[in-house]
Amino acid sequence: MKITSLWPKSGKVRAGLIIVIFFIALALFGPLIAHYSPEATGSDVLSPPTLKHWLGTTQTGEDIFSQFVNGARLSMLVGLFVAVFSNIFAVVVGMIGGYFRGVTDAGMYIITSVFLIIPGLPLLIVLTAYIPSRGLLSIAIVIAVTSWAGTARVLRAQTLSLRKRDFVEAARATGESRWRIIFAEIIPSEVPLIASGFLFMVIGGILAEAGLSFLGLGSLTTVSWGSMLYFAESGQAFLYGAWWWFVPPGLAIAVIGAGLALINFGIDEYADPRLRTGRKLKKSDRRGTRALEGGMTSLRTSLADEPEAVGDPTIDARAALNDEYERAAAVIRPPRRLPGETILDIRHVRVDYPTAHGTVHGVRDVSLVLRRGEILGLAGESGSGKSTLTNTVARLLRAPAQVIGGEVLYSRPGQLPVDVLKFSAEELRRFRWAELSVVFQSAMNALNPVISIWGQFDDVLRVHRPSMKKSERLALAKDMLVRVGIDGDRVHSYPHELSGGMKQRVAIAIALVLNPDIIIMDEPTTALDLLVQREVIEQIMKLRDDFGFAVVFTTHDLALLLEISDSIAVMQAGRLVEYGPAEAIQTEAAHPYTRALLDSLAELGARL
Amino acid sequence: MKYFLRKLGLYAFIAWAAITLNFLIPRLMPGDPVGLLVNKLHGNIDPNAIAALKKAFGITNAPMINQYWDYLVNLSHGDLGVSLTYYPVPVSDVITSALPWTLGLVGITTIISFFVGTALGIWLSWRRGTWTDSIVPAMTFFSAVPYFWLALVLVLIFGVTLGWVPLSGAYDTGTTPGVNAPFIGSILQHAVLPAVTIVLASFAGWILGMRNMMMTTLGEDYVSMAEAKGLRTRTVMVRYAARNAILPSVTSFALALGSVVGGSILTEVIFNYPGVGYTLFLAVQSQDFPLMQGLFLIISLTVIVANLLADIIYIFLDPRTRSEG
Repeated sequence: MKITSLWPKSGKVRAGLIIVIFFIALALFGPLIAHYSPEATGSDVLSPPTLKHWLGTTQTGEDIFSQFVNGARLSMLVGLFVAVFSNIFAVVVGMIGGYFRGVTDAGMYIITSVFLIIPGLPLLIVLTAYIPSRGLLSIAIVIAVTSWAGTARVLRAQTLSLRKRDFVEAARATGESRWRIIFAEIIPSEVPLIASGFLFMVIGGILAEAGLSFLGLGSLTTVSWGSMLYFAESGQAFLYGAWWWFVPPGLAIAVIGAGLALINFGIDEYADPRLRTGRKLKKSDRRGTRALEGGMTSLRTSLADEPEAVGDPTIDARAALNDEYERAAAVIRPPRRLPGETILDIRHVRVDYPTAHGTVHGVRDVSLVLRRGEILGLAGESGSGKSTLTNTVARLLRAPAQVIGGEVLYSRPGQLPVDVLKFSAEELRRFRWAELSVVFQSAMNALNPVISIWGQFDDVLRVHRPSMKKSERLALAKDMLVRVGIDGDRVHSYPHELSGGMKQRVAIAIALVLNPDIIIMDEPTTALDLLVQREVIEQIMKLRDDFGFAVVFTTHDLALLLEISDSIAVMQAGRLVEYGPAEAIQTEAAHPYTRALLDSLAELGARL
Repeated sequence: MKYFLRKLGLYAFIAWAAITLNFLIPRLMPGDPVGLLVNKLHGNIDPNAIAALKKAFGITNAPMINQYWDYLVNLSHGDLGVSLTYYPVPVSDVITSALPWTLGLVGITTIISFFVGTALGIWLSWRRGTWTDSIVPAMTFFSAVPYFWLALVLVLIFGVTLGWVPLSGAYDTGTTPGVNAPFIGSILQHAVLPAVTIVLASFAGWILGMRNMMMTTLGEDYVSMAEAKGLRTRTVMVRYAARNAILPSVTSFALALGSVVGGSILTEVIFNYPGVGYTLFLAVQSQDFPLMQGLFLIISLTVIVANLLADIIYIFLDPRTRSEG
C-alpha cells in the first residue's frame, strides 16, 4: 500500500491529523529543544516572549515554553490513559449489555444511566478531595471511572441493532459461540463508533485534568496545561496582562480538541455518507445512492465497450448479458390510441451522477407519453433508473444528480404545454400535489411519525386551499380516508398506530386530496404482503375510475404491470429498452431484456 | 404512560444511587475526612473536637447499615449536617443561599445555548453545500475550548483591558438586595460575562448534534413527501425535518447537561460568582466535607430532575412514546 493512499482525501481530516501529529511531536521532542527545566525559576520575571524565552516567563521566572511542552506530554498522556481505560470499560459494558440482553442488560443499563446522569466534574471534585496524595495516575484513574458511560450507551444501542442483522443471525444459526460472534462479527462493525468514542474521551480526559488542576485539585507538583493555568490564575496573570502565561495552554487544549473532533468528522462521514459536505459525490443522499447503483451498472456496461476493459476478469456472465442488452436496439411501439389527450410528455430526458470515478448516466435519453387517465407501468430492476426518472418528473432529484437534457412538458386543459423542469420555485410549489402528487415506496417512512394523519392532510390544504375553513378541511380529510376504506375517525391517529397496509392507503388518500391530474406511485405495494398488496391495487384502480387521474406506476413486478397498465415502459441500465401498449409487451416483446423478464415470469408460473 | 412510569422508576433509582454514592464516598475512599482535617491542623486538635467532628460526619463505630439508616432519616428531614467553614450554619442553609444564583445563571444560559445552537444547526443543514459548510469545522474549536480558559480570556479583554463589566461577584455590594432597579441592573451587569462564557463554550455541541441529525433526517422519505406536497420550504424544514431531528437532542440532554454543570462550576470559580459551583470550590479548598457532600448531592439531584423534565418534554414531542404498552 502506498503512503498516499493512507493520506485521507477530506480536508477536515487532514487538518485534524496535522494538528494532532504536531502536538504529539511537540510532546515527544519538545522537551529536547526546551532550554530550561519547567520548574527552574529565574531572574527574568513576567517577561513577554523574547528570543531567550520563546513564550515568556512566569511570575517566578519559569520558562513558559519549557512548561508548555512538558504540559503537552502530561496532558496528552492523561488523555490517552483515560481514553484507553474508559473505552475498554465502555466496550465491555455496552457490548455485553446489548448482546446478552435480559437481566444482564437491565443491570448494565441502569449502571450506565447512573454514571451518565450524575454530573462528572462534581463527582470528580468530590472523589479527588478524598484522595490523600494526588498523583497524576490517581487523577487519571478517577477521570476514567467517571467518563465511560456515554460511549457505553451508544455501543449498547448499536449492538442491539447489529444483533438482529442478517450476518449475525447467520453466524448464530451456524452455531458459532457467543464470544466468537462478539469478537469476529460485532466488534469489527462497531470500530467507527469505538474510534469516535476514543477521540472524544481523549478530549474529555485532557479537559477534565485541566479543569481539576485549575481548581487546585490536580497533581500540582507536576506541570500540566491545567496546573499552568492554575498558577497563572493564582498569580493573577490576567491582572498583569500576562497573556503569554495563560493563552498557550488553553489555546492548545482547544486546538487539539478541535483536531480530534475534525478527525472524528472523517469517521462519521465514513460511517454515514449523508453527513458529507462539499462537492461532487459527497452530498449524495439515499435516493441519490439508490439510483447511483443503477448508474454504476451502466458505467460498467459502457466500460465494457472499451477495448482495455474487455480483458478484465471481473466481466462475468451478467456483464456479458448487460452487453447483449446494450447492443439490442430499443423497441418503441406507437402507444395504443387512448381517448384522453396527452398530459405529460417526457422528451429525451438525461440525468447524470458525477462521481469520484467519473460520470455515470442514471437516465439515458428517455422519452415517454402519459395521457389523461392512463396507467403507465414503468418496469425495471432496482437501479434501472426508473426512480431517477420519476424523481426528475416530480423535481425531487437531489444532488449530485443533474438533469443534463430533455424536457418534461405538462399540459393543462386548453393551455399550451409548460416545461416542468423550467418551473420557478413558486410555480413548482403550486404545481406540486395540486397537479402532480407522489405515493412513496414505503409508507412506513413516507408519513411523518410525529404528526397526526390530520396534520399531514391539513398542511397540504392550508397551503394549497387557503380559503377553506377548518371544518371543511377536516370533513374533506375524513371523506378521503373513507374513500380508501379507512374509518374517518382515524384521522386523529398517528402513523405508528396504523398497520402497514393502512399507512399506504393513508398515503394514497393524502395524494388524492387535491384531486391531481397525475399520481406517481413509486413501488407503492412492494413493502406490503401479498393479500394487502392486492387490496391496495384494487383500491387504486377503483379510485382511478372515480377521479380519473393518470398514474405512473413503477415496480419490478412485471406481472402486476401486465394486469393493471394501459402501457408499459421497461428500463434497463438507465435506458428505455421497450415501450408500448401492455398487450403488445405481453404477446410480442422484442427486446432481449424484456423477454428475459417475461421468461422468468413464465417459469415461475409453470412451477406454481 | 408506561414509558413515563418506566422513566420515573429509572430516575428514582438514579436518585437513590446518587444518595447512596454520597453516603459511601467518604466512607470508602482511602482518605478519612477527619484524619485529613487533623493532619491539616498538625494534630493541634482536642480529642473531644475529633469526636464532635466524627459525629458531624455521622461517622460512628455503629455498623454501616445503621449509619446508612441514620443518614437517610436525616436526609428526609432536609438535614445535611453542619458546615465546618460557616460553623454552626447548617449545610442546607448555605446551599439554599447559593442555589438561586446557579439556577438563574446556568438555567437561563443552558436554555439560550440549546435554542441558539439548535436553530443554527437547522440553518446550517438547510444551507448545506454552500459556504456555510466551512463554519462547521470551526465549531469544533468552540466545542473543545475549556470553559475556564474562555472565561479568563473574556475577563482579560472585557473586564481588565476594556473595563466594560465587573470582574467578580454577582452584584455590587453598594446596592440593596431586593426588587429595585439598581440591584437588578447590577445583577445583570455581573451576569453578562459568565453567561456569555457558558453559552459560547456550550452552544457548539448543540449545533453539531442538530446538524448531524438534520442531515440524516433530510434523507428520509417523509421529508421528500413534504417537499412533493408543495409545502413552503420553511414548513418542510421545521415541521418535517427539524421536528424529527430534535428528538435525539432532547435525549442527549443528559450527556450535555453534565458538561454544562461542570463547566459552570469552573466559570463560577473564575468570576467568584456565589453559586453552588463556587461554594463547592470553597468547600473543597477549606476541606469542609459536610458542605461538599451536601453540594454534590444537590447538584446531582438537580441534574436528575432536569433530565426527568427533558423526558417529559420528549413524551410531548414524540407520540410514539405515549401509546407504547
